[in-house]
Formats: sequence, C-alpha cells, structure tokens
Amino acid sequence: MPSRLASNGRRRTMAERAQPRHAQDKLAFLLSLVPYLMDHDRVSVGDAAKQFGVPEEQIREAVRLIGVSGIPGETAMYQHGDLFDIAWDDFEDNDQIVLTNLVAIDDSPRFSAREAAALIAGLQYLSALPENADRDAIATLTAKLSRGASAEPSQVAVEASESDETLALIRESVASGVQLEFDYLNSQGERERRRVDPLRVESVDADWYLRGWCHLREALRTFRIDRISNPSITSEPITHGAKDVPLPDTLFEGSADDLLVTIDVAPGAVPLLADYIPDGANTVEKDGTVRTTVRVSHYHGLKRLIASMPGVATVVAPPEARAIVAEWAAAGAARYGASSPSR
Amino acid sequence: MPPASTAPRIPVEERLFSLVLALLATDAGLTKNEILSTVQGYRQKYSHSGDNANLERQFERDKDDIRDLGVPLETIESPGQAGNNQSLRYRIPRGSYELPSDIVFSPEETTLLNLAAMVWREGSLSGESRRAILKLRSLGVTTTEPVLGYAPRVRVREPAFDPLSTALEKRTIVKFAYLKPGEREARVRTVAPLALVQHQGRWHLYADEPESGATKTFLLRRIVSQVSATSQTFPAPPADTTEKALAELDEVWNAHTAVVEVQPGSDADTRLGKRRGASVSDSGALELHYSDVNIFADELASYGPEALVVTPQELRDAVKARLERTAADHG
Repeated sequence: MPSRLASNGRRRTMAERAQPRHAQDKLAFLLSLVPYLMDHDRVSVGDAAKQFGVPEEQIREAVRLIGVSGIPGETAMYQHGDLFDIAWDDFEDNDQIVLTNLVAIDDSPRFSAREAAALIAGLQYLSALPENADRDAIATLTAKLSRGASAEPSQVAVEASESDETLALIRESVASGVQLEFDYLNSQGERERRRVDPLRVESVDADWYLRGWCHLREALRTFRIDRISNPSITSEPITHGAKDVPLPDTLFEGSADDLLVTIDVAPGAVPLLADYIPDGANTVEKDGTVRTTVRVSHYHGLKRLIASMPGVATVVAPPEARAIVAEWAAAGAARYGASSPSR
Repeated sequence: MPPASTAPRIPVEERLFSLVLALLATDAGLTKNEILSTVQGYRQKYSHSGDNANLERQFERDKDDIRDLGVPLETIESPGQAGNNQSLRYRIPRGSYELPSDIVFSPEETTLLNLAAMVWREGSLSGESRRAILKLRSLGVTTTEPVLGYAPRVRVREPAFDPLSTALEKRTIVKFAYLKPGEREARVRTVAPLALVQHQGRWHLYADEPESGATKTFLLRRIVSQVSATSQTFPAPPADTTEKALAELDEVWNAHTAVVEVQPGSDADTRLGKRRGASVSDSGALELHYSDVNIFADELASYGPEALVVTPQELRDAVKARLERTAADHG
C-alpha cells in the first residue's frame, strides 16, 4: 500500500510520534466495526460509512484488513479457518459487506474508564438543556455507562447547571417554527426588543449563546443567553431555518468594522484572550510581557474585558481606547468614595 | 521464514488487532514467547535463535496502548511458577471485554450521548469521547435528530489538565508548583489527585496532600509549573469522589455571600441577577454567592460603575483596588 511505504521513509520521527494515537484510533475502529458487521448479515459500504460517520474508503480499508486477520490457531500458522472471511466478490464488485467466517470477537467492546467518564461529565454539563429535563433518565444513562465500562469511570465531573427557562422557550419556538421575541441588552448598554429566528444554541464553559437571524438587524447575530430578558414566543412564523443560514464555526466572527487595539498582557493570560486575538496578529514577548493585538467591535465591550484583568492586561493604543477604559474604571472606583477603607 | 530485513512491514493497527484477537481467543493465556513467535506483526520480526529485546519492548508498549483503550488485558501467573517472568501468561477475558448484552441505548439516549461527546472538542477528552462514540455506533443504534441544533463546548485550556487526568487514571502521585491566591511565590505541592471537576466554569483538582494530611482543592489555572508524575501510586478513591469534590466547592460557594448594588437595567443587573442562587435582598440589592474573593472581584470589576459591593469588606476592598489599578494603568 503506497501510504504505508510513505510513512516509514521521510519524517520518521514525526510519524513515529504521531503513530500510537493514530494506530489506537484505528484499532478502536476495527473493534467497533466487526460487531456491527456481525449484526448485519449484509450491509453496504455506504450504510456502514454513514453509521460510523467516516469516509467510505475508511470502511473499505478496514474491511480489507479484517478479511485477512485472525488468530494463530492450533497450527500457529493462521490457517484459513482461523481467519475472518468475507464474500470478496460481493465486496469488490457490489460494495457489499458480508462476513462469512468469524473469529474471536462476539460483541462490542466496553467503554474505557476515561471514555465513560468523558460522556458522563458531558451529560452533567448538558443538564441545562430541555432535552435533559428528565433527571431520572440521565441517572439511568449514567449508570449504564458506568456498568458498560471496563473499569470504574475516572473521576472527572462538570457541575450540573439548572434547567434554563430561556433555553426551553428557544426549543419550543424552534419546534413550532415561530419567531422568538426578547429584550436584549448589548454590551454598549442599549436595550432593544429583538425578534429572532433561533438557529443554534452554543456554549463555552458556563456561558450560553443563541445564534439566530435577527429581524431587527436583518442579519445573523449571537446573543448571550444571560443578557436575554422577558423572552416570549410569537405567532409569527420563522423566515430563516437552520438549513437556510450557514453558521460559521467560530462564535464571534470578525467584521470589516472591527477596531484593532494594542495591549500588553501577562504571558499566562494570553490564552484567556485567544478569542479576541486575530490570526496573524503581531505578538512579541519582552521583559515578561506580551504585546499583541485584539479585535473588538467597539471600545465599550473592551472596557469590560480589560477591567476584569486588572494588572494583567493593559491597553497601549489607541489613546481613545485607553481613555474609555480609564474612565470606566475610575467611575467604578468613584462609587466607593474618596475616603477609602484601610487595606 | 524470510530474514527480517525483507519481511513485509505489518501496519501497527494490524499488529494490535491481531494481538487482541489472539488474546481474546485463548482461555489459558499465551506466554510472551508464544505471542512474539506466532502473532501477526511480531512473528515476522521474531528471531528463533537470537535476541528479541526490541520486540519485547514493542510488546510492552502495545500492551499499554491496548489497555489505554479500555481492553482488559490480564496477566496471570502459571501455577507453581510464581515470580517467573517468562512463564507469565496474557489473555483478555471475554466477560470483562464485551459490553454486557443487557446494556442497550435507545435512539434518544444515543442522541444525548452524541451531544455529550460533542462537549469535548479539545484536550485529551476529545479523543476519549470520539472513541466512546465509535463503540456506541458499533451497537447499530440510530439517533433521533434533536429539534434544536446544539454546539456545546467545555474548554480545557489549562495545560495541567491532561497530565492530571492521566495521573488520576493511573493513580500516580504528582508534583507541581502552585500559586495560592494572595501569595507572591509559588510553592511545590506533592499530591494524590482524586478528581478533576469543573465548578462555575473553572477546573479544580481535588487531591490528598500527604504532607499536610488534608484533602485540598486546587484551581488548575493557578498551577504554574508542569505537572510531573512521581513513581509512587495511591489506592483508588471511593466512587463518589467527584460528587464530594463538587459538594465541597458548593459549600464554600454557599458560605460566601456578597451584597451588591446594581444599576437598574444595566448589564450588571441583567447578568448578575441570573447567576445561580442570586436573590434580591430587602434593600433591593443582589445577594450573590461566590467561591474565591479574588476571582469574583475580577468579575465584579468588569462591571465598572454598574456594580457596587456593599459587603463583605474584603470583597469591597478587592474590587475597589482593582478598579483603581486599572484606572491608574490607563491614566
């Protein structure tokens, strides 16, 4: 196979380092594919690819390997009966998979402790979703995952969030195909009643967002769910569905109107600003401080971000941005009065 | 058998797959020598007369890789030959390998599990959940399309997460430098990691510290060095350790209450009022719980003049100092 030859020649060290994970993934795939094929007397390559969400060629490659694999057997010589076999003609001519001889494997493998833990922690995290409202069902599912693991699931957990009323309303509006209406306060402090066709709910850690078509702005918008108040369902049918509007992968897209701001950041805090640093930003580290560029839609959003990182991030330029941050922080400090309590 | 140099090169996954099949098929187990001399991928490189040290090392690594996938590869001693390494036998007991047949997942459950897997799009857990989904799909269940599209994501930005999760799994004692809130210098801690939990959007390590004899919670983002594993291990913690860790964090969170005045209709009003456990006091101010005064002070400082801490004094001072610092840095 050409691909195999290529991997042992050049860039050997890299290939070797990358190999174990890659080979492990392939092994996990083989161990999962075999029981699926056993359960289906005959299945097309296309259907199998769809079931596993992989390219058809990956199924064909795996089936070719399964078809010649087996156990050493009595003679330790991998005799014919010791190997899996498939109906080769059906496979080569019709792209159909039929296993004709089975060895060693009877059933699907158990989850590893970490695999089960990843799914359990993911379920806990999603407890705010209306789909997860049935806590007993979640408990049953968690118990199944634990019992289906080869060892006690490892101790990783995410705090469960309470069911969210807004999320439930969003789901209801999508299910009935009507627009959602709510008060929204943007980061510049403007409150407006918005009418939105909900498209997708996204989250990053404890923050939840709604992406939808905003009828007020006539554009795709991302709304923080905790900035939504007084949501209600209208009787107006939606005009934009998830299938009509391609959603970019990134939650916040840059726009041509974005402002670029130069900041100094402590090196350890750079990852916290990763979402705001545009690709190809000029980033220089000097004397334990990183100077870089962030992209913001307006300085009033920036002032909140910078004020949450005191002594860690400082705006360098432009002067207008510095002034807005200074004014914001000074106004905040002023509320505590001139007679400062002793520290 | 042809000499090793011209032997066909067997891809790694074929060798691993053949090893799993061979060990599943044996009840009595196979010795290392039997494996190396007969199993596909090893036998091609096996020397009947010479030294197989390289091949033995390969087998050791392969065993680790296979176990890493949750395959229960067992070692058994031959009767009467305890302690003799060459007579150790290896096998994969079917009962602990196969998913019990009474475990089935409905299409709705499968949909939920797919969503749960989607949560991990970075860090080592993304690989784990991807493989878990493969195993789930091998059961042949189809999913129901959720009414609403979701794209959930839990971030694992802290470099300490992956080494700690490995240490958790292998129950290895680890060392790292930790910068305690309010202290200027980081101190090296030696701990037995018991659980990794995300609470209020932040990752915490729950660990036993033998030196102090106490169980402590460490914030991952305050681990300022690499996490290094020691050669010591510790016994498995009880199954409910994550619940305990989360309950303790909740207790700390509950015990800290701040009274904060917010400007009506402001961002602070809208967002702080929606925090978990937020309530409105008689005076109309918000009563909020928090875990760590420094972290909450950072958050409150972001609201500038929109939020005013009434009590406690410690938080009030911390927010005021932050705002003054930011104003001075930008003046």
